[in-house]
Parts: sequence; structure tokens; C-alpha cells
Amino acid sequence: MALSPSLGSCVAPATLQVSAARPVPAPATLPLFPSARPARSPEELHPALWRAHQLGRAQEVVLASGFADLDAQLPGGGWPAGVLTELLLPHAGVGELRLLAPVLARQQGAQRSLMWFDPPAAPCAWALAALGIAVRQLVVVQSRQNLKHRAREQLPAADILWALEHALKSGHLGAVLAWLPARLPADALRRLQLAAQAHEGPAFLLRGVQARNQPSAAPLRLLLASAGPDTLRVTLLKRRGPPLAQPITLALPPVLSAPARARALAGRVAPRAAVTAVTAVAAPRTATAA
Amino acid sequence: MLWLALHLPLLSLEAFCATLAEADRQRPVVLFDGHQVSAVNAAAAQCGIRPGMKRATALALAADLLPGQADAARDAAALQAVAHVALAFTPSVTLHGTQTVLLEVQASLRYFGGLPALHQRLQDALAPLGHPVPHRVQRAAAPTALGAAWLARWHPRGQGDLVLGTHATQPAALQRLLGGLPVDLLGAAPAQAQAQALQAMGLHTLSDLRQLPRAGLARRFGQTLLDDIDRACGQRADPREWLTLPAAFESRLELHARADSTEQVLLGAAVLLARLVAWAQARQARVAAFTLAMQHERSSRPGGDATAPATELRIELADPALDPAHLQLLLRERLAHCALAAPTLELRLHCSHVVQASAPNGELFPTRASESAGLVRLLERLRARLGDTQVQHLVAVADHRPERASLAVPAQGAPSSNPAPGDAFTPASAALPLHRPAWLLPEPLPLAERGALPWLEGRPLQLVSGPERIEAGWWDGEPAARDYFIAQAEDGSLVWLWRGRLPAVPGAVQWFLQGRFA
Repeated sequence: MALSPSLGSCVAPATLQVSAARPVPAPATLPLFPSARPARSPEELHPALWRAHQLGRAQEVVLASGFADLDAQLPGGGWPAGVLTELLLPHAGVGELRLLAPVLARQQGAQRSLMWFDPPAAPCAWALAALGIAVRQLVVVQSRQNLKHRAREQLPAADILWALEHALKSGHLGAVLAWLPARLPADALRRLQLAAQAHEGPAFLLRGVQARNQPSAAPLRLLLASAGPDTLRVTLLKRRGPPLAQPITLALPPVLSAPARARALAGRVAPRAAVTAVTAVAAPRTATAA
Repeated sequence: MLWLALHLPLLSLEAFCATLAEADRQRPVVLFDGHQVSAVNAAAAQCGIRPGMKRATALALAADLLPGQADAARDAAALQAVAHVALAFTPSVTLHGTQTVLLEVQASLRYFGGLPALHQRLQDALAPLGHPVPHRVQRAAAPTALGAAWLARWHPRGQGDLVLGTHATQPAALQRLLGGLPVDLLGAAPAQAQAQALQAMGLHTLSDLRQLPRAGLARRFGQTLLDDIDRACGQRADPREWLTLPAAFESRLELHARADSTEQVLLGAAVLLARLVAWAQARQARVAAFTLAMQHERSSRPGGDATAPATELRIELADPALDPAHLQLLLRERLAHCALAAPTLELRLHCSHVVQASAPNGELFPTRASESAGLVRLLERLRARLGDTQVQHLVAVADHRPERASLAVPAQGAPSSNPAPGDAFTPASAALPLHRPAWLLPEPLPLAERGALPWLEGRPLQLVSGPERIEAGWWDGEPAARDYFIAQAEDGSLVWLWRGRLPAVPGAVQWFLQGRFA
């Protein structure tokens, strides 16, 4: 069978054929080794084997992300469960929660709880409900509360790492999101990766972009950036498979209405013209006044 | 009637070693009763010290000897713990002397599946009690109480089962076994004179004694000796008073060396926690709250208060549990936050709050009930480490002011069982458009304004949607009259900002950043 470079499609897991199951009819000419089988490609032997140009098949459970373009590029076709996934953001608020909302909502639908560690700002319960995340099944753990941004970064991460490790090892959570500080001890991610093996859902670590050049034990690393209003650009930095040259552009659930979006896109093209446009436009009032 | 006797020959030594610090346990340890040696450990026996020696001799033989005082109260507390473990197997438990616990197990044999199974379970239950190694226990079973106690103390080699110890189930077999009992085990332990007199007469075992005429024996050595032999052989009634379980658990441990660090306090607390678990198991209940009181050194400065201060640490469990590892972890995390004023000399554990309900069934596959129980335990551990207010639930409040619309309440217990405050309700997710940001800044951030546009981090923001007017809060003294806009930043991310409807300073417009859309 010819080796086809299948970037987007997954090869079906093959099963080992036992040679004694069916008697092979005697060939016309005697082969040198009667028990030799015709050579097959190694990736048919076991699901864990894959070639460098193919996309790796995930051994563990994968959960669909809700975005078809992204699923096509992730090994296994979704977010992997039981391992760490690292998301690098330039700043909070590029659309990361809208990206993760489908998988979080599905885990909650299966009666599991979510746990968030040290979110960068106060989460708004109304917005989370609009995204489909039930706040009754969400626990927020703050290890460095009431501190300004710079002080939070300086504080050692011992408490949050301890809490994260225990939460992953307990195995009672559906999904875990953790906003980690920039400076971590050398083997912290390795320990978390080992602890995540007892976890039955996805574990997302959200860090700043300066962690891009630091080595990480997480098998999947994505760089998120905003590419316009309600659009997210995802660059796959590391995955089990060939590196992706072009970043993927995903359309997020919209915050802006269509005219507002048109205005925003026009503004990105010509910023000067948008300054006068805003003062001229009379936007309709939405009915939320008390 | 089948009596089981548990004899702990090294009880006083083990009880003393439980109060030692980790480094001291390797040294030769000797217990003094007055001026004579009463118990030695293995390291001291190797130096040549034997019970009965004088204090000076012992100190001369071993240079780094650790001397300790024999304390009857400490031994009694340790024996109580063993008796509580035994109470989980049968309600008929009594103490004999200072080192033996007697259990009457005929009625429990069928439930526990026979004597060997009962022995095994007793051994497993006694294992966590001794520190650092389990207590050394000599076991025996007999149809009479005193017979079992004597057999356990005698512990003859080659006479018993490896598993069951010395045991006899019929009175005739018991009498044959008891025939070989040496006479110095008869009667109370310090009756050395009686044993020496008997041996001087050439009577070495109980069978020798039984061959003598009873009247003469009673005249020489007293009726009590004959009565004891009759009770042991089953010819005389031997009523016993059963042990009752106290309603509240109270136990104290005096540390040998003063504890300066959390680790040393935890070592002592582990002993007390094992006793607490034994008591709670005997009551068929689970621990819901306990208090650890640490007695500190009295300050020797003049002017300090005369009474020694005590630090009390109360630990309450959201989900009553009986797992010693879990209790130990909670105590460890709470102690890490507690600042000790002075070195600790004595630990006291008190527990009166137990829950009588039966424990949840252990399940092979996780079900929703076991998942939520596990989640409660995880939340408890996180709260013990980080603090009660750091583990939170979010609650949606029906208020138009965005900073009040979402409230973080400390989590108590399982997420779905958390009672929500009065204003809260669950918004229906389908009815909401996405025009609220997921991230709200704790305080609105003032933004500079240049050229009629707000600027964030040195870049102009483009207003794309709005204004949305929110006027609320005139009734509770914090009125908010704001026009909210959605703006696009340079890199394309969306932010939510507002300006006041009526400017604070006439002519100047102040923009504030409220949140970011995620």
C-alpha cells in the first residue's frame, strides 16, 4: 500500500492479524520463508505508530472543540483529555473563553464540575451563562487575591501549583483552566503533566506569550491572537504531527451586531475615517435602561 | 463463651516512644520506675541493660541513653485506644491488669467468618495505633477470661498456631494447656515472694499445684490463689464489668522534647488522630469536627502570665469522614497557617461532634454520589491550604450595574448544594445575547482621551457599538448613570468601556474601562 501523506485525515486504527487464524493458501512458487507476510506500512501495526508527516492519532479520549477547522488540525480530532494543553495569549480577552466554551459546556452537561485557578479578572456570571457555562457547577480558586497585576506576577506560584496538582489527581473534575504566572519552577509542568493522567477531561494552562520560547511538557501548544472583531487566529506551536505553517482563523460566536461589525472592519482598514464615522452615527439604544 | 486476650508486653515502652521526636527513636531508651529499670528497648538491651537494674548502672552502660519515667496515665491512655479498637468487633470488652484487653467474641464469630478471619481483622485494625511500629501483641483464645489472659501472657513457643496464637476451644483442652503454665505468672505481677516460695518448694507449673491438696494450699498461700486457678479452669464463675465508650473523645499526649516546628507537632498529633479514629469506629460514627489544643511553655520572664497559654485549632469537616490520612492532611494545612506563640509541650485532642449515619458504600465504578463526595473532599483540602474565602462560587445577581451583577461567594460543600444568597437567580442562557464581557475588571480603569477617542495602553480605541445607557442604583446610595460602548483595540480585541452620563467636571469626558470580551 502506497504511503499517502494524509495531513487532515486520520488512518483507521489497524488490528494485528494473527497468522494462524486463517490458513493461507499455498502459493504457486515456494517463497524463501513460508511464514513471511507481505510488508505492510508500520502505521497499520499499532495506533500509537505514526510517521512524521502524518498527524498523530491521540491515544486518549479527545473532545470535539466545536470548531471544525480547528478539529481538523488537532491530533485525534479534538482537545485531548488527560494531558495538558497550553494556550498562549498576548493578554486576557482575545476570545479564549468563546473558544473553550463548547467543550466546557459539554463537560458540564455530563454532570462534571469545572475548576478555574486564578482567572485574570472577575468572571461575569451573566456572560458565562450566555456562553453556556453553568455557574452552579463552576468553582473559582484564587490563590493570590487582592493584589495588583505586577504583584501577582512576582508572588511564588507554590500555592497554585499545589492546588492544581491536587485537583488534577483527584479525578473528580470535568475540566480545569489555570492561569499560571510567567515564572514557574523548572519541573512544574512535568509534574502537572504526570498529575493530569489521573484527570478525565481537558486541562488548559493559559500563559503569556513570553512562554513561547520556554520548553514545555504539554503535548499541545497553541498561540492565540485576535485577528479582528469576533475572529481568532490560532497558531499551532506544538502538536503530535507536522508543524502547521499557516495559522487558522476561526469565527467566534459574535458579540457585535452586523452593522457594528461592518463598522469595526472598516475601521481596521482605515482608522482615520472611523474617527468621524463614530460621532456621526446615531446607534439605536438597546432596551436595558433601568 | 470464647474469650480473646490481647496482651501488650511492651506497652509502656511503646507509649513512651510515641512521644519522642523522629531522631530520638534510634537511641537506647530505658523506662525507670523510681530508681529501677522497668522496660528497655532493643538498642538498650544490646548495651546490656536489663529490667531490674539500678539507674546508675544503666546510665553507665549506655552513653547516649534516653531515660524516661514510667507513667501509668500514659499507659492507660494507650490501652484505652486498643480497647476502643476491640469495641468495634464486640460490645463485650474488658481490661485485665495494665497490659491486657479481653474480648468475648462467641457471638461475633459467625459474623466475622471464624476465628482466623477475626484475628486478621483485629491485626489490621491495630496496625495504625502504634507509632512508629505497630504494637507488639500476644494473642490467645480460651473458654474462660482468666485462662485466655494467662495464656496470652505466657505465650509459649511451639504450643500455638502462628496465626491464632495459643488457643483452646474446649475446657478440657484448656486445662491441659494450662498445666504447663509457670507459677510466676499466677496472681498479680509484683507477687515475687509467692512465686519464689512456690519454686523453693519444687512447684514450677500449674499442674504441680493442682496435684496438691486444696486445703493445704489455701492455708499456705491464701484462698485467692485457689479461686484464680478455679476461674481459669472454668470451675468458678468469673463475672466481668464491660467497658463503656465515653460520649466525647478526650486524649492528651505530653511530648518528650518540646516541639518547635509543625512537623514535630504533626508527629504527636498523628498518634492522637489514630486514637480518635479508633474511638469513632467503635461508636459506628464519623468525625465531623475536632479541636487540637497545644499547650505552650510558660514564659519565664517576670511579669508574664502564670497560666500557660494554649492555642486551639478547630477543624470542621464539610463531609464527616473517618479517613486518618484525610484528617491528617487537613490538620497539616491548617497548622501551616497557624503561628505558634511558643514551643509546644503537650497536645490535647477533643472531639464531641460526630455523625451517626453509616458511611457511604465504597463503589467499584464512580457514580454521581461518589463524584460529588470526592469533589467536596477536594474543596475541603483546598480551603484548608488556601483559606476559606479563596475557593469561590459565582452567583448571578439581578442588578443592572455590572460590578454588582456577579458575586463571588465562598464555597461550602458541593457546588450544587450551595445555598445562593437572596438576590441571586439563574439566568436562562438561551435568552441572552453575548453583549456582556466575560472578564470584568475589579475597579473601572480610567482611560486617557485624545482627539475625542479613548486611548488604551498608548493606542486609540475605535468605538463600534453603543451607547447603551445603564442607570441604576438610585435606591441604595450608589447611583450609576453610564453610557456603555463596545470598542475595538488596535489588535482586534473588543473591550467594554463607559463614560458618565453627566460628567463630573463640566466639559471633560472621563472614559473608564469596565471589561474585556473573552
